[in-house]
Amino acid sequence: MNGGNKRKRQDMALAVSDSLSNEERIVYNIIRSKENMGIWSGDIKRETTIPENIFKKALKSLEAKQFIKQVVNIQNKARKLFMATEFQPSKEITGGDWYSDGKLDIEFIDTLKQLSLGYLSRQKVATVDMVLKFFKESGAFTVDVSNQNLEEILKTLVLDDKVSEVKSTGFDDFAGVPLGRVCYRIKSKVGGVREEKVGAMASIPCGVCPRINFCTPDGVVSPKNCVYYDKWLDF
Amino acid sequence: MALFDNILHRPRFPKFLDIVSRKLDDECVELLDGLLRNGRLTLQQMADRASEGKGQSVVCFGSGNHQGYTVTGMVQENPVAIDVVRETLRKLLAARYVERCPAPEPVLFPVVEETTTRKRGARAAKIFQPPLTIEERVLEASVPGESIRFSLTADTGFNADGETNSDDCPMTSAEDVVKEELTPWRANFEEFMRHLRHKALIENVRTRLDEGAATILSAILDATRTAEKKVKVQNSVPLSLEAIFTEVVKSENGRTMTIDRVKASLVQLGCPSRMPDDSYTIDLKNIIELARNDEVESIVLKRYGPYAYRMFRLLSKANCFLETDKIAESTLVEKKEAPKLLYGLWKDNYLHMEKLQVMASKQSRFVMWKVNKPLLWDYVLNEMYHAALNLNLRLGLEQEKDGELLSVPLDKINESKSLQKKFERRRRVRLLLGSSLMKLDDALMLFHDF
Repeated sequence: MNGGNKRKRQDMALAVSDSLSNEERIVYNIIRSKENMGIWSGDIKRETTIPENIFKKALKSLEAKQFIKQVVNIQNKARKLFMATEFQPSKEITGGDWYSDGKLDIEFIDTLKQLSLGYLSRQKVATVDMVLKFFKESGAFTVDVSNQNLEEILKTLVLDDKVSEVKSTGFDDFAGVPLGRVCYRIKSKVGGVREEKVGAMASIPCGVCPRINFCTPDGVVSPKNCVYYDKWLDF
Repeated sequence: MALFDNILHRPRFPKFLDIVSRKLDDECVELLDGLLRNGRLTLQQMADRASEGKGQSVVCFGSGNHQGYTVTGMVQENPVAIDVVRETLRKLLAARYVERCPAPEPVLFPVVEETTTRKRGARAAKIFQPPLTIEERVLEASVPGESIRFSLTADTGFNADGETNSDDCPMTSAEDVVKEELTPWRANFEEFMRHLRHKALIENVRTRLDEGAATILSAILDATRTAEKKVKVQNSVPLSLEAIFTEVVKSENGRTMTIDRVKASLVQLGCPSRMPDDSYTIDLKNIIELARNDEVESIVLKRYGPYAYRMFRLLSKANCFLETDKIAESTLVEKKEAPKLLYGLWKDNYLHMEKLQVMASKQSRFVMWKVNKPLLWDYVLNEMYHAALNLNLRLGLEQEKDGELLSVPLDKINESKSLQKKFERRRRVRLLLGSSLMKLDDALMLFHDF
């Protein structure tokens, strides 16, 4: 795979040298040298002595000829980066598998989470591979979901306290799962609906009050004139 | 010397009475009520009080009013025999809910400082404990020995005037009776706190694990209750598997349990391997820590939302510094949003933050985050005290606001719809504020007493 890419890049370099003007070639070589990290137009300009108007023209021409492309930088969306077309943006620039066009694909993540929860609520326990197999067999996705991606999803469900991570004992619910393998189990349900844990503080206005640090018995914010209390005690 | 903990126990008196009412009879509840109201009573005073309760139905027990209460000089229409009161007291002492009052002027021995160089080093540093304060030393020194503390007729070794008995001067039985009647008794808060701690531990295990694990823990704690040296014990007192099994089958829920089931539950409770002497012990401190985490996380979820909750739980579980981008990646939170949410948590003291500058090929600055649990728990406890004060103030205000309703005759209230509505609101407000205060007190105990 690597050898093929190298040959492709060499062919591209030859094609480029034949069809570009001097300025275009300079700009292109700078962009290409940055490989999959890309470079901001301001930084290219700093590395060359080409006048502004010719520089802009060269960039436009290179883009039109499809030698370079613009990519969104997750670190700074306002500063678009230029990259040679044969490279794919690095993880640092895109933000990783869960990002699309510089934005976290929340919709996709939520769908995966819902489907995983649905599957886990039907099963007693399941490993990552079991959930992945279910996804593949259900044909719910046209996109490829890797084992690692799914593991990340299940780990966020653990952090959301909706799923617990347990190790297989090989007995009872774990029959068929090798001993010691990490499994996921939906948190216990009461009457079909999961019981939300609400602490003593979180169930009173002071527990969620953003102004608690300004609150004093006879101050401007006080339990006697508190709007949150008024709302809470409005029977 | 003011004992702040004892002041904080005052609103808990109904809880203490409830514990006794579930385990012992009504006479015990009435006697304890008297001790809680008056602080301390002698046997004679208890008998007077019981007689007065029988003779005058107006003076009632358990009315919720814990103000000072005089027992001398009252007319006794139907006196209760001192022997009956003694028997009730004996039951309370056996359950350790009542104790002999400590010695008035305990002798404090000077603290011996260990300065030998042999003890210095990594191991000594690891087990370093802050020295006891003078108040703590006084309290420790004043507690009588186990056999005296809970015994009705124990020879304390002191005469009424405080002089030590000598062997050639044995007490006569008449002196004994007089001394017994003069001994002051008081409620043993330590035992009530132990009971409430055990209850919290069992409930937590029930929700976190299952009914079986809760039954096992309950049996272990019941069997070792008297062997616990203090309330905040880190691990349960070691018990052999056979002893655990015997205790479990004695309980209602554990009657049908097999020894394999007991073993499996012990593994669930985190003690898979036996100690060298073939006994099991459970890490109670860990259960309390998990319960504290739940309480704090619940606040974070409500106050800062699900993304902050997810990041907070990641940091809480990791228990070490993590970098902003790493946190965002592990929790699938938008990289631009993560610093804002983390900053919000840091600003309110829920997170600890450190900035790190690295000079490599290019200068980079990283922001690292961590949950500092001991500091955070202190902070949350203070917020809880603040919240409890607020609940109390609001309860007072609400009672004051609708105070005139109490003077309105009942038939007038029944006639007017607006008065009925006001009356109903007052009832519901009092109920909500009162129950919230009790629930908050459970959380306060979790962070302060357990």
